Amino acid sequence: MSEEKKIPILLDGDPGHDDAIAWMLAKASPALDIRCVTSCAGNQTIEKTTYNAQRVCTLLGITAPIAMGRPRPLLADPITAGNVHGQTGLDGPRLPEPGMELSPLGAVELMARTVRESESPVTIVSTGPQTNVAALLLAHPELKSKIGRISLMGGGIAYGNWTPAAEFNILVDPEAARTVFSSGIPVQMAGLDVTERALIFPEDFQRIRAVGNQVARVVADWLEFFYQFHRSIGYAGAPLHDPCAVASLLHPELFTMQDLYVEVETEGEYCRGATVGDLRGKTGHAPNARCLMDVDRQGFVDLLVEAVQTYDGWEVRV
Amino acid sequence: MNRIPVWFDTDMGVDDAAALLVLNRLETVEVVGISAVAGNVELFHTYDNVRKVCRLIGSAAPVFRGADRPLFKELEIAAYVHGADGLGGAVLPPSEAPEQPLAAWDALYQAARAAEGRLEIVAVGPLTNLAIAFGKYPKLKDLVKRILIMGGAAQGGNVTPSAEFNIYVDPHAAQMVFKSGVPVVMCGLDVTEKAYLTRAEVEETGGRDTPVCRFFRDSTRELVKYHEDWGNPGLVLHDVCPVLFLEHPEIFRGQEAGVYVETRGTITTGKTVTDLWSDKEFPEKNAFVVLDVDRPAFVRLVRDAILVY
Repeated sequence: MSEEKKIPILLDGDPGHDDAIAWMLAKASPALDIRCVTSCAGNQTIEKTTYNAQRVCTLLGITAPIAMGRPRPLLADPITAGNVHGQTGLDGPRLPEPGMELSPLGAVELMARTVRESESPVTIVSTGPQTNVAALLLAHPELKSKIGRISLMGGGIAYGNWTPAAEFNILVDPEAARTVFSSGIPVQMAGLDVTERALIFPEDFQRIRAVGNQVARVVADWLEFFYQFHRSIGYAGAPLHDPCAVASLLHPELFTMQDLYVEVETEGEYCRGATVGDLRGKTGHAPNARCLMDVDRQGFVDLLVEAVQTYDGWEVRV
Repeated sequence: MNRIPVWFDTDMGVDDAAALLVLNRLETVEVVGISAVAGNVELFHTYDNVRKVCRLIGSAAPVFRGADRPLFKELEIAAYVHGADGLGGAVLPPSEAPEQPLAAWDALYQAARAAEGRLEIVAVGPLTNLAIAFGKYPKLKDLVKRILIMGGAAQGGNVTPSAEFNIYVDPHAAQMVFKSGVPVVMCGLDVTEKAYLTRAEVEETGGRDTPVCRFFRDSTRELVKYHEDWGNPGLVLHDVCPVLFLEHPEIFRGQEAGVYVETRGTITTGKTVTDLWSDKEFPEKNAFVVLDVDRPAFVRLVRDAILVY
C-alpha cells in the first residue's frame, strides 16, 4: 500500500497487556499510520498506564507523540483492574525505559491537534475507557467530520464481565461511552461477544515465541501472563480483547459483524455500563455501530504471528 | 394419586389459554386455583377469559380476580398481539360458575397453606399478584416450593431491546418475586421463542372437530400471522413452556443462575439481569434459567394434549 493511502490512526488506551498487543498489530501494519498515542486511566492509574504507553511505544518503535490523558472518568469514580494486569498494569517481561518525552499537551489537546492537522479523516482506536475520546468530542464538535470511525474495545451485546450486565471499559466511564455511541461518528465495537471468542492458547503463544525476535518474545510473555490469569478464573484461553479493535480494521473478513443501534445505560441498579443493542429494531433508530460478533480464531492468530514477524531485526535495549 | 398442587396465575391472552389447555391435561398435576392479572389485556378481560376457558375444558378450579394494574407503573397492554379481548377474537360462551369473593393474593395464600409446602406456582403474566401476596404474607415464601414463570430473557427483549413484556409491564413485582427466597424457574425468550408451532403444526394440533380444537384454531389464527410478520417461523407458545416444565423437565435445558430485575435504568428497566456468562456472579443462584427446548418433543406434547379433549 502506498504511503498516502495509509489510514491515519490515533491510539488511545490504558496498557494493559491486550492494549500493548493491539498497538503491536497497528505498528506492524503498512496500512495504518499512527499519528499520536494517548493514555487513559482504566486498567491502572493514569500514571501507570502513561508510563506503560511510553515503554510499549519504545519497545515497538512507535515515534508518534504521546500525551497523558485525564486522570479520572468524566463523572464516575475511578475503577482499576489490578487483578488482571498486575500492580504495574503491565506485569510480566522486562520492558525498556521510555525513550521519548511526553508531549507537553494533554491527551485531548494532542488528539484535537492531530485530527485537525490530518489531511484525511482519522480513525480512533480506543482500547480503554472512552474518557479521552468523549472529552475530545465534547470539546471539539467541529472535528467530528474529520473522524471517520472510532474502533473501540468495549461492551458486550449479550453480557458483561465486570458486572453481569457491563464490560469493564464501558463500566469505568459509562457517560463517556454514551457520548461516543451517540456522537454520530460510526463506531466499530469489539465487545465481549467477539473478544471472548478471540482466545489464545499455549500453542499460539509458543508459535509467537518461536518467531524469535525481541517483540515476539515479549508478546509471548504477555500472552502467557494473560493466559495464566484467565485460566485461574475459569477461561479456556486468554481473551485478546483489544487486538480485535485493530485486527477488524486490517482484516474485516476475519470477523462476523452486525450493524446495530447501540445505546449505553448510565443509570440503573444492575445495568449501569451496559451496551444495549437493538437486535430487533425496537427503537426505530438507525444503526450507529458495527458490532463484531464472531471471529475466525485461526486467522486472527495467524495475523498476530505475521505481525510479530515484521519486527525481525528490530531490537531496543532493555 | 398424589398430584402436585399447582396455582396458575395468568393475564390470559392467546398463549396463556393454550397453556391452560395443556396444564389441565397434565397427569401429575392438580390445579388448585387460578388467578387473573392485568397484562396482555385489562383485568376484566383476563378474568373473563380464564373463566370461559375453564368452562370450555370442564375445569372446576376456582378463579380469582387479581391486580388491575402494576405495582408502581401505568398498565401497558398488548392488545396488538392478543386482540382487544385477549383471545384473538375467538368466541366462547360465558362462564356459569359462581364468582369467587376472595382476592387473588388471599386465595393464593390459603391454597399455599392447605398444600403444606408442596404448592408450585406457574405464573405466565406480569408478576403483580405474586408480589402483592409476598408483600401481604411474609410466611408465604416458606409455603411455596417453586415458582415457574414465563418472563424475561437472559439476552435481549421483545418490548425494548432489554426487556420482555411480562417483566417490562411490572418490573418491581418481578424483582420482588426474584428476591422472594422461593426458587424461580425462568422460561424467558431464550427458550420460549424456540417453543413454536409451524402453521402446519397449528392446523394439525387444532385438527379435530371438538370445541377445544375449534377454540385453538380460532384463537391462534391472527397470532400466527403476527408472529410470522415479526420473523418467527410460526406460533410462539411462550406460556406453555413453564407448564410443560412441570411434568417434562427432560425436554428442556438450562442453567442455575443469579437473576435480578433492573428497576432503575433509563433504557434497561425490566431487564432480567443474569450472571450466566459474566466473570462477576451474584452471591446467590436464585433461579434456573431455561435456555433451550427439544422442539419436536414440545410440539408432540402440545398436540397430544389438545387433540385429546
